[in-house]
Amino acid sequence: MTAVDGQETQGQLASAASSEVIIELNQVNKWFGSFHVLKDINLTVHKGERIVVCGPSGSGKSTLIRCINRLEEHQRGDIVVDGITLDKNLKNIDHIRSEVGMVFQSFNLFPHLSILENLTLGPIWVRKIPKAEARDIAMSYLERVKIPEQAEKFPGQLSGGQQQRVAIARSLCMNPKIMLFDEPTSALDPEMIKEVLDVMVELAATGMTMIVVTHEMGFAKTIADRVIFMDEGDIVEQNEPNEFFNNPQSDRTKQFLSQILTH
Amino acid sequence: MSMVKHEKTAPRDAPLSETTFIGWLQKNLFSSWINTILTIISIYIIYSVSKSLLIWGVLDAVWVAENRRECFAISKHGACWAGVLIWFDNIFYGRFPRDQIWRVNLGGLLLVLWMAPLWLPRVKDKIFIGLSTVFLYPFLAGYLFAGGDKGIFMQVMTTGAIVCLIGNTVHSILGMTSGRSLPEYLIAVLGKEKASDGNQRNTLLAILAVAYVVVYALQMGWTVMAVPWSKWGGMHLTLVISGIGITSALPGGIILALGRRSRLPVIRVLSVSFIEIFRSVPLITVLFMATTMFPLFMPEGFVLNKLVQVIIAVCLFSACYMAETVRAGLQAIPKGQYEAAHTIGLGYWGMMAFVVMPQALKHMIPNIVGSFIGLLKDTTLVSIIGLFDLLGMLRAISQDIPWRGLHHEPLIFGAALFFVICFAMSKYSRHLEVKLSAGEKH
Ligand SMILES: Nc1ncnc2c1ncn2[C@@H]1O[C@H](COP(=O)(O)OP(=O)(O)OP(=O)(O)O)[C@@H](O)[C@H]1O
Ligand SMILES: [Mg+2]
Repeated sequence: MTAVDGQETQGQLASAASSEVIIELNQVNKWFGSFHVLKDINLTVHKGERIVVCGPSGSGKSTLIRCINRLEEHQRGDIVVDGITLDKNLKNIDHIRSEVGMVFQSFNLFPHLSILENLTLGPIWVRKIPKAEARDIAMSYLERVKIPEQAEKFPGQLSGGQQQRVAIARSLCMNPKIMLFDEPTSALDPEMIKEVLDVMVELAATGMTMIVVTHEMGFAKTIADRVIFMDEGDIVEQNEPNEFFNNPQSDRTKQFLSQILTH
Repeated sequence: MSMVKHEKTAPRDAPLSETTFIGWLQKNLFSSWINTILTIISIYIIYSVSKSLLIWGVLDAVWVAENRRECFAISKHGACWAGVLIWFDNIFYGRFPRDQIWRVNLGGLLLVLWMAPLWLPRVKDKIFIGLSTVFLYPFLAGYLFAGGDKGIFMQVMTTGAIVCLIGNTVHSILGMTSGRSLPEYLIAVLGKEKASDGNQRNTLLAILAVAYVVVYALQMGWTVMAVPWSKWGGMHLTLVISGIGITSALPGGIILALGRRSRLPVIRVLSVSFIEIFRSVPLITVLFMATTMFPLFMPEGFVLNKLVQVIIAVCLFSACYMAETVRAGLQAIPKGQYEAAHTIGLGYWGMMAFVVMPQALKHMIPNIVGSFIGLLKDTTLVSIIGLFDLLGMLRAISQDIPWRGLHHEPLIFGAALFFVICFAMSKYSRHLEVKLSAGEKH
């Protein structure tokens, strides 16, 4: 919460949301074995919309966004991403995954490849872009996340914040339509959180559709068009950020907010 | 509780035990009474063993003699290396015709030439060189060793191998001297740098085709006399069998390991049963099965020679062991790596080839080399089913009339040979591990 307080004063980013629907979840249900993780989830995301998802640990936030690029399989209901319904069809899954970028809490860079190779792997082998061109694209994104000088190093030689920025750049190199973030800053030391959030704020300003699981409430206030609160597999409440934080409706939300805002 | 230290602390010398030899001795060998006693006993044992070995094996040994009786006459208690020396060629080449031995040597030399670029700096496309070693070299070597009439298939393959060898060599020299690859060089020489990708590719293909046709025409007139496999033997045969076993173990093991983790039940069950059956049976049993039972299952009149049967058995056996090594390596890769590969859109094979396998193989190097060493030693079992590999040859010495009863010297010589090869392999694997993990620290 600390790092972004400064940005609150800059006020909220103008919304880039259009009326075009890009993600649609309809009565989605998921179980891990007999454990019901997602319960009748309905969610519509418009192109350019920026959504922050929060909620207590184990409430199903990660599972929800991982269903959107099919890292997890849902059992009931429909998920439509960019006009394509997610089902067992492998071609669809591969297509969706190349349109949806994802950034993980633990970075998940490829440790055996240099930073540049991490970034060009997808463009070269999935997008079939010529090597030289992929390299140029990668360098331009490394510049955007402000670490072009690290291109030849290996992930293990970078700090956590730098690694996470590389991970963001790696996703962006695939030129995705949607970016998913699963607690991108919670594995980072406080002084590195800001550098990652700054990159994400810049990304938000470009009009990217983003779904971000995070507890950085200052960040949520800056970029979010909508905040979603989840608890025990339900979407309990969703609202635009000011209303959500200042005027929560449900008791569960109030309790959650009081917990995270007091420490 | 507050304190301030104003002067800098000057560096002092490390304790003696860290720097001098005497210090090291004190710390490691004589640190306590028990340790001192153990050290003295060990020194005594080492001294007496090496002294008698030295006297028997070097000082009193006989190096030149016509037969074992002569050895005895010259020195009663010394080693009779004369027998080993006279059989030297047999130990390495078996009964390969003496005037054809150059073919075996050439085969070995070509392998060195083929693979050397893998260790040279600045050479590009090493993966291609490595793959061509596995897929093309065996044909060239196979023809060199077996000789005889080249069928159309062997003509095609040996030509491919020769073209590839020449290409590799030129490519590596170019890489060493100018840092350029062979295709880049050819394009530059022809002044086609500006041409489109398609044009460049067609040019290169044309050059390749011309080279292929020229080499094909040249090699048509080249034949060497046939040497039946029954004349192969000694170190050569051991290396042929274990070499084929080793090269096929890795791809076979990877396929089996992936099969074992497959989501399709049929593939998984097949892989698991295959792996478990072979792993729960000793190699010698597999060898007997291959040479006695296998022909029973084959259609009438279909005769495979014993060597091929043995090689197939060794390959299957080693692939199954390798599969377990690969599986362990795959398990060491965190789930996040798979997920990250998926999220950049890589499919199953792309994920395996670029993300998972390179990391897993690195974890597996010590185990892979371990199984290679094991396989090399296990290959000696083929002497039991009547092939004259290195061990078979060493034991044949004692059956030879002039050298009847000469057991120790050949076997000690063989042990030394195996030790040198296996020790070098394990040292090299250690070096590889260090080198590969240097790039990335965790
Ligand atoms: N692969 C799995 N198998 C079984 N249960 C799982 C699996 N993954 C998650 N769960 C369970 O599902 C529930 C929701 O998990 P999820 O990771 O979505 O929570 P989260 O809201 O992201 O929590 P956190 O804030 O701790 O990341 C948890 O109770 C978790 O234990
Ligand atoms: Mg989570």
